[in-house]
Amino acid sequence: MKRFKLMSTLVAFSIMLAGCASSANPTNPASTAATGNTGTPAAAVKSNLTVAYSEGGTTLDPAEANDLTSDTLVLAAYDQLVTYGIKTEDGANIANTEDIQPMLAESWEVSDDNTVYTFKLKQGVTFQSGNPVNAEAVAYSFDRVASSSSGSFLYGMAAIKSVKVVDDSTVEITLTNANHNFLQIIAMYTFSIVDQKTVEAQGADYLKTNAAGSGPFTLEKWDPATEAVFTANESYWQGAPSLSKVTMKFTKEASNRVLLLDKGDVDMAIEIPPKDVASLQSNTDLTVASNASNRILFFAMNNNVKPFDNVKVRQAINYAIPYDELLSGVMYGQAKQMKSAVASNTPGFTDAGFVYEHNLDKAKELLAEAGYADGFTFDFTLGSGFDDWEDDAVLIQAELAKIGVTMNINKLARAQFLEQQKTNNLTSYISKWTSFVNDPGYHLGFLLYGKGSSNYINYSNAEVDKLWEEANVETDAAKRTALYEQAQEIITTEAPWAYLYEYNRIVGMSNKISGYAFYPDEVIRFYPLSFEQ
Amino acid sequence: MSTAAHSAQSSQPAQGKPARPEAAAKPKTLWSLLLRNRLAALGLTFIFIWTVIAIIAPWIAPHDPYATNMANKLQAPSASHWFGTDNFGRDILSRVLYGARISIWTGLIAVAISFVIGVPLGGIAAYYGGRTGTVIMRLMDILLSFPSLVLSMAIAASIGAGLTSAMIAVGIVGIPEFARLMFGQTVSLREKEYIEASRAIGVKNTVILYRHILPNALAPLMVQATLGMGFAILTASSLSFLGLGVKPPIAEWGAMISEGREYIISGQWWLVTFPGLSIATSILGFNLLGDGFRDVLDPRLRSGK
Repeated sequence: MKRFKLMSTLVAFSIMLAGCASSANPTNPASTAATGNTGTPAAAVKSNLTVAYSEGGTTLDPAEANDLTSDTLVLAAYDQLVTYGIKTEDGANIANTEDIQPMLAESWEVSDDNTVYTFKLKQGVTFQSGNPVNAEAVAYSFDRVASSSSGSFLYGMAAIKSVKVVDDSTVEITLTNANHNFLQIIAMYTFSIVDQKTVEAQGADYLKTNAAGSGPFTLEKWDPATEAVFTANESYWQGAPSLSKVTMKFTKEASNRVLLLDKGDVDMAIEIPPKDVASLQSNTDLTVASNASNRILFFAMNNNVKPFDNVKVRQAINYAIPYDELLSGVMYGQAKQMKSAVASNTPGFTDAGFVYEHNLDKAKELLAEAGYADGFTFDFTLGSGFDDWEDDAVLIQAELAKIGVTMNINKLARAQFLEQQKTNNLTSYISKWTSFVNDPGYHLGFLLYGKGSSNYINYSNAEVDKLWEEANVETDAAKRTALYEQAQEIITTEAPWAYLYEYNRIVGMSNKISGYAFYPDEVIRFYPLSFEQ
Repeated sequence: MSTAAHSAQSSQPAQGKPARPEAAAKPKTLWSLLLRNRLAALGLTFIFIWTVIAIIAPWIAPHDPYATNMANKLQAPSASHWFGTDNFGRDILSRVLYGARISIWTGLIAVAISFVIGVPLGGIAAYYGGRTGTVIMRLMDILLSFPSLVLSMAIAASIGAGLTSAMIAVGIVGIPEFARLMFGQTVSLREKEYIEASRAIGVKNTVILYRHILPNALAPLMVQATLGMGFAILTASSLSFLGLGVKPPIAEWGAMISEGREYIISGQWWLVTFPGLSIATSILGFNLLGDGFRDVLDPRLRSGK
């Protein structure tokens, strides 16, 4: 009893002290920055890059990787047949996912009906083990994706029917139908080419915790709880990387990542909270790259659950969202208003049908028309892990209260939230989405197509479905865009979601880093980076 | 509103009771001894202040604790907002005051759960002994073998996040302490002549337990209950900090610290400091009082402080 009492008093005091001590930090940013610079003598030898990541990843298997860290690990160790080009926009390097560049495939030919692709592999490329990268390995890698649990879906999205080895350096891929997204999809980390011989020698589970690719870095260590360490593959076929070592430090708490970066303990940090951007920008040793991404955030309403089955109620919610407060108050301007179910930088985007603004009178009117003049009560599920989500939810809750609508916020841990989401039974929630293939067909196919695998709110509109299906097999880009525009307008008008915002992708890095490019999949490619000491 | 009324009523008998068994022997000494113990008096003052605040929060809070005003967010403490404002522009002073209701109410309910379940279990285990006693006390040992926060997190997570589940979780975690204490008391009281006498004249076991043993074991149980309040408030705050307690936007100290911790680095210290101080002072109050109670009730520990 006595020990408990002593302990709880101590804990109480330490909470108190933590509160007090915090005031000391911001007053001396200069001194912390100075100590940070002197604290990195080890880096002076050769260019070692340390990056703070939020999560530790779940697998190294390219076919199963499905989270940002795992994807990053895979792309550091593996190559793909083709890759994305880079364009410069407002002085920043941004990946152009429509511009497909050769990688392990030197060239390719497409049949007249756009269903057969013949890839010619680059000669003399070897895996890190020394085994040659050949057609066999490509066919093997694609087959692994087809039979994987995570990547098989993309295999279907790519519409691949068969992969045939023509000769040692030629692969022929046949599609079930013409698919304008095919090359963009096989440029993803999922379709990395794995070293067949090594995998077969080591057993089926080898790739979960080991890398067997031809990529620019070899994996030295991966511990999801602490860090991953990569060393340069000096014999990389595109030339040895300029970085000799990359250490990814897994730091869950965003404020810790900010602190590490600010003090110079890491050279780069991802997922910087918007509120800390201004203070990091004032640190002259740092550059903060904040790029408009196609990561969207939306308030989803289950179209099968009363009263959200009524389109007027959904529209009313759209009129109750405090759009400007979310952008400026929660996101500190590091986001953009979302005006369609598709992100504004996705080709084919249109804001047609977006008439919503923060207008509580209009919202009340719509509720009255729908027969809910006195408001209603509904359950909202909040997945943990993203601070802005909770802020958004609380602000929306406060606005809805003004029109008589009571929103009960139920918090769930992220894993639980994702599980619940899949049951299609959640009444409402906030969720983000990033389409790695920046295409409305890919995007809507997941989220709002009637049979979409991530259409968790049962939105179903026969016309939207028809437009999507037509566009899917339409080979003419302009006609396709027209179809997607029609679909977006219907969706925006029917409001299965309330659109919240489009995120900026914020990466903070030392001024000495060059070669950074932003990719829509938000994965950092380490190979093009260089770091002056 | 109803929360305050409840906490006021239920705290009354809780604090009145311990005096009763002692009252016959030394009517005034308990309180006077307690007040003479300076630390206990300080603890009592903290508790008194927080209880009063919990009751009258709606009347003294300068602002609506739930009114968001983004134009006014993250304001440093000033004349209009003594404790500053949080990231939604809500007044932190008002939220701290309202938070007192949640914390004290949570503590009371949790301790009540521990008491009502733990005391009978301990009493039955000791009085009847045998296999029943062994089973009950080994169960208590199993509960005790888990770190309390981990156990309460597991319970709260399995019931589902929310204030009620947090109260139940903290209550369950507190059961073994009461059971063990009651067990020890009952074992020694069981052999007393007056118990043997009651048994001899045919008084029912349940009546003996309730009417004769319980009142005589109350003093140490009250010490435990007072210390348990501090524990319950801290654990409930920890659960809220971890996202297993109250639902947003409810003003609760642990949740306020959790929401405010992101702002420590950017310099908005007031988001965490004031709820932190509130937790610290309320727990300190209950611990000092519990300590004082024990000193007063146990002559062997009575010293000249």
